[in-house]
Amino acid sequence: MIVFDQVNKYYGDFHVLKNINLTINKGEVVVVIGPSGSGKSTLLRCINRLETISEGSLSVNGLNVADKKTDINKLRRNIGMVFQHFHLYPHKTVLENIMLAPKKVLGQTDAEAKKIAQKYLEKVGIADKANSFPSQLSGGQQQRVAIARGLAMGPEIMLFDEPTSALDPEMIGEVLDVMKALAHEGMTMVVVTHEMGFAREVADRIVFMDEGKVLEEAIPAEFYANPREERARLFLSRILNH
Amino acid sequence: MLDFSILTENLDMYLVGFKNTIMSSLIALVASLILGVLVAIMRIAPLKPLNWLGTAYVEIIRNIPLLIITFFFFLGLKLSGIYAGTLALTIYTSSFIAEAIRAGILSVPKGQMEAARSSGLTYGQAMRLVILPQAVKIVIPPLGNQFINLVKNSSILAVVAGLDLMYHGDLISSRTFIVFDVYIFVAAFYLILTIPLSLGVGYLEKRLAKSN
Ligand SMILES: Nc1ncnc2c1ncn2[C@@H]1O[C@H](COP(=O)(O)OP(=O)(O)O)[C@@H](O)[C@H]1O
Ligand SMILES: [Mg+2]
Repeated sequence: MIVFDQVNKYYGDFHVLKNINLTINKGEVVVVIGPSGSGKSTLLRCINRLETISEGSLSVNGLNVADKKTDINKLRRNIGMVFQHFHLYPHKTVLENIMLAPKKVLGQTDAEAKKIAQKYLEKVGIADKANSFPSQLSGGQQQRVAIARGLAMGPEIMLFDEPTSALDPEMIGEVLDVMKALAHEGMTMVVVTHEMGFAREVADRIVFMDEGKVLEEAIPAEFYANPREERARLFLSRILNH
Repeated sequence: MLDFSILTENLDMYLVGFKNTIMSSLIALVASLILGVLVAIMRIAPLKPLNWLGTAYVEIIRNIPLLIITFFFFLGLKLSGIYAGTLALTIYTSSFIAEAIRAGILSVPKGQMEAARSSGLTYGQAMRLVILPQAVKIVIPPLGNQFINLVKNSSILAVVAGLDLMYHGDLISSRTFIVFDVYIFVAAFYLILTIPLSLGVGYLEKRLAKSN
């Protein structure tokens, strides 16, 4: 469903993604880990063309992402994205945040969009906050709204870029629970996170990145017990001992 | 002591000038706002040629004296004083407004555009529905200051016989051979326009500071 074939990306002279070959199948949950600056966010952002690739090919659902002729907005409505810092629209209520794209992109009526928004708010457990503004919510609640906002478009793929890194420790669980439920329902997910519990429980595969390369791909049990790469071993010992 | 008979005896002329200054300022205000928004978006849009055009406009217009722009329309294109002055005022002010609006748009965090685009909104929709409503808050105080400048700068019309407040002040002064008192009343008329604007800006600034 998502296929990276010999993908390279440069920021000017800086080679940020190096010969990436990676296939993510429908319904799969892939967790991407690696040191800061290794290119995890860039990899994720290429999938919905927030960043463009320099070489190679990248396709999503058979659509060539890099092709100028590909209708990018059509591609994007099928891919939800959740960011580290939520990026909720501060001037809109929770409900309006969720309804915006379904109305403007999918052409839903106000009533339809509202019904769907409420459904997903219930799903993420904050139906009572529908009319609040983002600034009135805790970080964990904001991130759950962001997830609901992504889901309301009915996407086949959800991308998560360190969704719990900006949260206070006591709020991480509530966001991970929502994500786990989503994984169990069969959503295709690409998740950049260092949350090992999440990865062990729901990931089908761990992708370890370092300096722009995918160094290792393995199932979680294998990866955490016995990483093949020295770099991965070093990295794991560092996140375990902090 | 201030001689109020100058005011009462020439009230008709003062009021004609005052009315023209208000008209010219209002027209220039609306037109420069529209032009300013367009130029700001040109400077920010993801299209290089538009960026260059917008940048050239702003850098050229705001770095030449208003008087020269006015002469361009008055002497160069032979427009009447009131048209030449209002047009020059519009164009001159729009370059400052464009900069204020651009700064406001750029101060909206990058993630807002990314979140909007990644949900499938077009660039135009994201701008209109997500970025601009947030930028407005930031832009209102500097815009208010530009509007105050605009009202004061409208006195440029007097130089090209533009029938404004300042022009009528000049007329009264040359008829009565009185300078000081005549222009004190002219200044007072300008203050009637600018003081409320200034208070309004201050009020909005306070309210916006609270809402954040
Ligand atoms: N827009 C950009 N311009 C130049 N360099 C960038 C840009 N975005 C990211 N980088 C660099 O690319 C590298 C990878 O970044 P990123 O994908 O964010 O890494 P990660 O998410 O793994 O921490 C970093 O060294 C970062 O500084
Ligand atoms: Mg990152």
